Amino acid sequence: MDRNQITKWIKAPAKMANKYSLHAIYFCTGCGIIEVPPVITSRWDAERFGVIPVATPRQANLFLITGYVSVKTLRAIIRTYEQMLEPKYAIGFGSCPINGGMYWDSYNTIKHLDKYIPIDGWIAGCMPRPEAIIIAVTHLWTLIDKDMANGYVKYRENYEYYRKNQEKVLGELDWPPLYPTE
Amino acid sequence: MVTKVMQIILSPILALIVGVFFLGLARKIMARIHWRYGPPLVQPVIDMIRLFYQKSVSHGRMFDLGIILSLAGSIVVILFLPFGRICPLSNSGGLLVILYIMLLAPLGMALSAGQGANPNISIGISRKLILSLGYEVPLLLVLLAVMTRYKTISIVQVVNAQQNTGWSVFSFPLFLSGLSYFLILPAILGIRPFDVSSAPQEISSGPMVEYGGKYLALATIEHAFALFISIALFVNLFLGGGANPITFFIKMLVVFVLGICIHAVFPRFRIEQAIKYLWKWPTLLAFLGLIMTLVIRS
Repeated sequence: MDRNQITKWIKAPAKMANKYSLHAIYFCTGCGIIEVPPVITSRWDAERFGVIPVATPRQANLFLITGYVSVKTLRAIIRTYEQMLEPKYAIGFGSCPINGGMYWDSYNTIKHLDKYIPIDGWIAGCMPRPEAIIIAVTHLWTLIDKDMANGYVKYRENYEYYRKNQEKVLGELDWPPLYPTE
Repeated sequence: MVTKVMQIILSPILALIVGVFFLGLARKIMARIHWRYGPPLVQPVIDMIRLFYQKSVSHGRMFDLGIILSLAGSIVVILFLPFGRICPLSNSGGLLVILYIMLLAPLGMALSAGQGANPNISIGISRKLILSLGYEVPLLLVLLAVMTRYKTISIVQVVNAQQNTGWSVFSFPLFLSGLSYFLILPAILGIRPFDVSSAPQEISSGPMVEYGGKYLALATIEHAFALFISIALFVNLFLGGGANPITFFIKMLVVFVLGICIHAVFPRFRIEQAIKYLWKWPTLLAFLGLIMTLVIRS
């Protein structure tokens, strides 16, 4: 911690603590999860930046969606995202969550993940290198500093839009709405 | 009178600082053993600030009260434990009181977590209770041996006697008991190879699965207190306490670093393997220590 950070810590402790304690939830949606073990172990030690994997959505505030999202996984992703506590950040990893990638004409995967849950940032590539996760984390720091990583606020404000899109793919949802809808 | 009140306020704060420092140090040492650089030493403090600022979800009245009960139990135990020469309640209580109140902390956590109604929680709690059944037997035998050897139940008098006669871990019958306590120390701390109750890979960190936000921060503080209590008890009973808080802290540090080295390299026991181990070697050693103490005393 260098000296000019101390004033930042005094001014906005919540923002700084959110930056340097990103707990990522272990959730494997697709092939991209293979890049995460090197990031958290000895080769690219992400714990230097406070990024560690946790086992439950309640303790996590970073959600890495790694790889293609099938319709069945989308149900689990939405439930996990809604169980996480605010403030929470979601990152799409790989080209498949961005626009379908190589599964763009598949009958069983969704193409644009940000129609269903809000995404704060994307890592493009198939596959992205493990360093890309660390670069994404530093970009997320910048976004948090500028109050631009506000996906969870967007989700609260436009909940009806997201819920409608979710119901379009999954049919009737078997859990109550997270925020009250008219 | 004023010093007494000051000590009562100061000693839990001191215990909290030491415990949180140990949590940070544990992550750093683990990282270095894995050939990583590791997080900064203040990482647990950063995590706790983040958790206190997060929104938190409660699961009922008992979820709130149980964690407060366990924190209160830990703080009361700390008041009875001498930290160097600082011991606010030295005249009352003793080892028997500590034995009783030490149970409050895990009980409170079990009550609080049980309200979460997650299947992983009930598995975790049952594993934790079975594990405590495993280590309570040798722990009781060890404490009985110490009480018989020094003919007192006061922990302050045990420390004072060791200042005259040398550390009890180096005296003849009690080194068996000391060895036994060190063997069950990982089980009391809940670190590997005995972290069955909070295994993240098997049961999603067990009782902690529904904790988030402020509740997880309070649970971390409770964990720091639990670390402090079990190591301070070992240092007081077997390593001669401390003439001042600094020597006491150095002794605690040595014991803790040894424990973390075990934690970093060992895999996890299954619960029945843990019980088999705990009821075999530590219990045998503790029992031998108690018998020897009785024979020498008569």
